[in-house]
Amino acid sequence: MQSTRDLVFGSATLALAIGYYALAVRIPESQLADGVGPQGLPRIYAYLLAGLSLVLVVRSLRMRRREQEAQRSTSDSQRPEPAAKAQLLRPAGVIAIGVAYVVAVPWLGYVVSLAGLIAATSYYLGGGPPRRLVVVALSGATLFWLLFVVLLGIQHPAGFWPSLF
Amino acid sequence: MLDSLLSTWTVPVAFAGVAWGILGGALPGISPSITMALLLPLTYGMDPTLAIVMLASTYVGAEYGGSIPAILIRTPGTNAAAATVTDGYAMKQQGRAGEALGISLYSGFLGGLFGLAVLVTLAEPLSNLALAFTPQAYFALGVLGLSIIASLSRESLVKGLIAGVLGLIIATIGTDPVTGLNRFTFDSPELLSGVPPILVMVGLFAVGELLVQTSQPAVQAIPERARIRFPGPAMWRRIALPQLIGSTIGTVEGVLPGGGGAVSSFLAYNEARRWSRRPEQFGHGSPEGIAAPEAANNTVACTALVPMLSLGIPGSNSAAILLGGFLMHGLLPGPMLFVRSAEVVDGLYAGLLAANVAMVIVGYGIMGPCIWLVSRPKPLLMAFIFALVVSGVFAIETSLFHVGVALGFGVFGYVMKYVGVPFLPMVLGVVLGFMVESNYRRALVLSDGDHMIFIQDRLSLVLLSLGCVFVVGSLLSSRRRGATDKDMEPNAEPKE
Repeated sequence: MQSTRDLVFGSATLALAIGYYALAVRIPESQLADGVGPQGLPRIYAYLLAGLSLVLVVRSLRMRRREQEAQRSTSDSQRPEPAAKAQLLRPAGVIAIGVAYVVAVPWLGYVVSLAGLIAATSYYLGGGPPRRLVVVALSGATLFWLLFVVLLGIQHPAGFWPSLF
Repeated sequence: MLDSLLSTWTVPVAFAGVAWGILGGALPGISPSITMALLLPLTYGMDPTLAIVMLASTYVGAEYGGSIPAILIRTPGTNAAAATVTDGYAMKQQGRAGEALGISLYSGFLGGLFGLAVLVTLAEPLSNLALAFTPQAYFALGVLGLSIIASLSRESLVKGLIAGVLGLIIATIGTDPVTGLNRFTFDSPELLSGVPPILVMVGLFAVGELLVQTSQPAVQAIPERARIRFPGPAMWRRIALPQLIGSTIGTVEGVLPGGGGAVSSFLAYNEARRWSRRPEQFGHGSPEGIAAPEAANNTVACTALVPMLSLGIPGSNSAAILLGGFLMHGLLPGPMLFVRSAEVVDGLYAGLLAANVAMVIVGYGIMGPCIWLVSRPKPLLMAFIFALVVSGVFAIETSLFHVGVALGFGVFGYVMKYVGVPFLPMVLGVVLGFMVESNYRRALVLSDGDHMIFIQDRLSLVLLSLGCVFVVGSLLSSRRRGATDKDMEPNAEPKE
């Protein structure tokens, strides 16, 4: 339900506003400070965010009540199906692959890590037989290496490979 | 402008940008802004003028590219191409796909030239306001920009404002602009210079959209080859009026921040039908139904740059990415751009001219690769886009920390899209945050802390009043429409 999403988002931004304010007031004063100071605008932003978040939370609670009344009068067919929930979780796997890449690339080097990222992402999203994916991923990673390292001259991590030779 | 056009690299770079844009725009789900965001890190090491030309050319190419799958498989490659689907696909079913693609390309070309003429005519006079800008006026300009974008968001005003404030908050991370103190850096050396806007843009637009696409079904493959057929003189006459309507609407929508290709395309389609001598053919393969929206969205690709170049306020996601390109190269769009970096502006005009010509040539030749690309399995496409994002973000400052930050903003972008919070106000907040804070504080130093300075300065007063008008107007109109119903719409698409 949209109201639940708004409620969760509004509560999260409200918490963020409180945390941000707590950090803002801890910014030390400076001899060079002007009348506003380094904590001046952050505090105003925290107030603004808190106020707007409260409006969103209150509005979502009112909307939620209306939605629940409407659901009671019709049926409960609007509940999210398990398949839809699984679809929502799918992006989490892609992000996990991205994080694994960031962790692995200093050790395994750019080409191998990138090939792993391409193969894992396409396999995770249903890209077909793993053997074919490995060939495509290695070719793709080599193409990216040619573009970024050879053509554009950007040094990506080499990993432990140079120490072997 | 002629010098820029004749420079060695402007034309090839425009061709390359257009080719990239057409390929990206042709992929359903990959909008012009995402196509530009993917390219943004690659332009980091380029000459600033060429980098801007490449990004702007990509925008031009992507607007045309979106019509290819719209016509061939009834799936718009971009939001703006959605209005082309009805008549484009109907023409394809009648065996006239090549003709439909030709009309789209020809109308986009004319619309682009029209938009460029408007851009050249309007942007510089607007920037002449530069001499009147005081620190308080700059602050007011930043507030106005955020108010306009937040209040014109298709999602709710509150969510737009929250996104804007979140952007301003992100902009406070790093070194304080006046005292040099570190704020919100958590003792991390990587955060000392703040969060680069490019990471926010690539994260929200590219990674966020990639995550959204993973939970969307794949589109059908294009089963056949299509050869573009350009319209003849009889067709030129028939589609001249819809093209003029499209270009006019594209001009108005582009110049006003908050408009965009998608809105202008649908408006142009409706107006073209209203003014047509054959309105009954609309929806059944009318060439006019392709000409009007395609002219409109390509006009917007140029006219959306008017507020961005002259005032530093990007009116659409794509213009925001282009703004990111300017900032990445140390150029600040706005009133002083025409004074300090006139050569970049000239180069951009020349590049846009070259890009519109390139669109016709590249658009004709690239059909085969486009069809091949759109027909690739979606998991492989997503994996390669992901690889391009992580490689490109690393390339900016050879920092894995930046890759992590971009992934983080990607997750946040996915959440924002799921909740229906617009990206553009947040991007604008990040971009304008420094300007807002430094000028606010500078103005108060000038006035010994007296806030009346913002009212006493006439330009500042006008800009702040306009900001209030936009916010109050948006509140009133949403109340009239029934804001609650509007907020119930899930996952509204951002403007391109």
